[in-house]
Amino acid sequence: MEEGYTSLPASHLLGSVPAVIAEDKTTSVASEAASSANLHLFPPSNGGYRAPGTPSGADEQTTSSWQGVFSISSYSSYFNVDTDVVVERIISSVYPMNDFYRKIDGNPDLYGPIWISATLMFMLAALGNVGTYVMEKRNDSSTTWTFDVNYVEWSACAIFGYVLAVPAAFYFLLQYFGFRTSLVRLWCMWGYSLFIFMPICMLLVVPVELFRWIIIILAGTASSWFIAMNLKACTQSSDLMILIVGAMVLQFALALFIKMFFFP
Amino acid sequence: MSHGDTIPLHPSSQSDIDEIENLINADVHSATVLPARPPSPPRVSIPISHSPSPLPPYQKVTPSASPPPVVPAVPAAAAAPAGSSRIGISSDAFGSSPDTLTEPVWDTVKRDLARIVSNLKLVVFPNPYREDPGRALRDWDLWGPFFFIVFLGLTLSWSASAKKSEVFAVAFAILAAGAIILTLNVLLLGGHIIFFQSLSLLGYCLFPLAIGALICMLEGNVIIKIVVVSVTLAWSCWAAYPFMSAAVNPRRKALALYPVFLMYISVAFFIIAID
Repeated sequence: MEEGYTSLPASHLLGSVPAVIAEDKTTSVASEAASSANLHLFPPSNGGYRAPGTPSGADEQTTSSWQGVFSISSYSSYFNVDTDVVVERIISSVYPMNDFYRKIDGNPDLYGPIWISATLMFMLAALGNVGTYVMEKRNDSSTTWTFDVNYVEWSACAIFGYVLAVPAAFYFLLQYFGFRTSLVRLWCMWGYSLFIFMPICMLLVVPVELFRWIIIILAGTASSWFIAMNLKACTQSSDLMILIVGAMVLQFALALFIKMFFFP
Repeated sequence: MSHGDTIPLHPSSQSDIDEIENLINADVHSATVLPARPPSPPRVSIPISHSPSPLPPYQKVTPSASPPPVVPAVPAAAAAPAGSSRIGISSDAFGSSPDTLTEPVWDTVKRDLARIVSNLKLVVFPNPYREDPGRALRDWDLWGPFFFIVFLGLTLSWSASAKKSEVFAVAFAILAAGAIILTLNVLLLGGHIIFFQSLSLLGYCLFPLAIGALICMLEGNVIIKIVVVSVTLAWSCWAAYPFMSAAVNPRRKALALYPVFLMYISVAFFIIAID
């Protein structure tokens, strides 16, 4: 990441790190040593790659703060993962263990949430149609196959809306209660929590109503537990039980919505 | 085609005024009169004044892009977004004779069609250049992808028995937005591709699926549909694979390829599932 140092006009400030941190505290939370400074800010406020902890002059920050939103290279830091890292995070999201948050703490990625949501959206639309057809065929053997295109639109709105809006709402709530968290980490966590619904979709095609309900309740519980464990690790306290319970309820509600709308 | 850097530029503007008068006064097909003039393309000779407005707009491109190796890319970049008018805006603007403004529309269309066919042959069919992705679509264009996306959307819409306009909207949105998002995905993963070249490639790789959709529209049996769509899906993925996998770090190859396969598989499912 040496190019970050040489490309900044304020690189003369390299020698005076403590002074710059004091100057910088209004703009970025550089206090957490384990994380890159720019990963706390979303949208990114610099025009390009910056080495972690690299100070930028306060005037440079204000003048170029909006340009970072439109430059692709400033978002690259959120996609700095390899295939094996993504696979490992997915596996650890299925087994509800506590260490998912520690895994993403240093390098939260947005690749997982985006593509898990997109895959889930397509699977819900496709398998929802298949499941609905199979169920109707079981009840009334003269039904013919119809493909309801609205499933695509509903699944897109539901999944992407959930993954975008709920972590943002929790980010603001946590800020209100005084916890400094990072929006990117919350998005990452909620995105990976949806992975468990992908194999569940495939199981929900089976047209036995009781089986469907058992499956979705199990999945909802596992996913809610995952969210609760990681929110607890994120906030590092249990004073906010009401928020954590709220998150669990929302996740369970999503699971029920998936069952009732796409696999009636 | 001749280019201005080998011939001394003509400093006077009188030759251009004569040129303009010739164009205005002469018949449309009398472009054959013009070769009597010195072979240097007069457009390159006025780096100082851009005032002659009757000359076609691509004149503005020429003074700024003098390095010859960039010749094929720049006019294509200027030509591709100008989808509104097909007359006169062609990729051979550089150093070509003034015919491109006065040529028949059929010549322009023929040239664009020839480019689409040649790009298609490079991308979708086996050829010796497949292993070199930079070479594969050097002469990219966006007409081919546009045709294939609209054709696929229309075919799916015709196949649908209900909500035809919604089917077209969903298909078009998924394909168009999907191509852009896939390209952004590769760029964000630290890959090295050219944005429009990648859009062009992803559009051309839809050609097998478009054929599959056409066959499925004409054929009603589900088993045949599944077989046909599976074959064309495999063909599309095979066409897109070398380009995408060469664009990123090998450790992230699967991350870049998975969304491409996801998009093609969902379009394939859409083709099979439309009743």
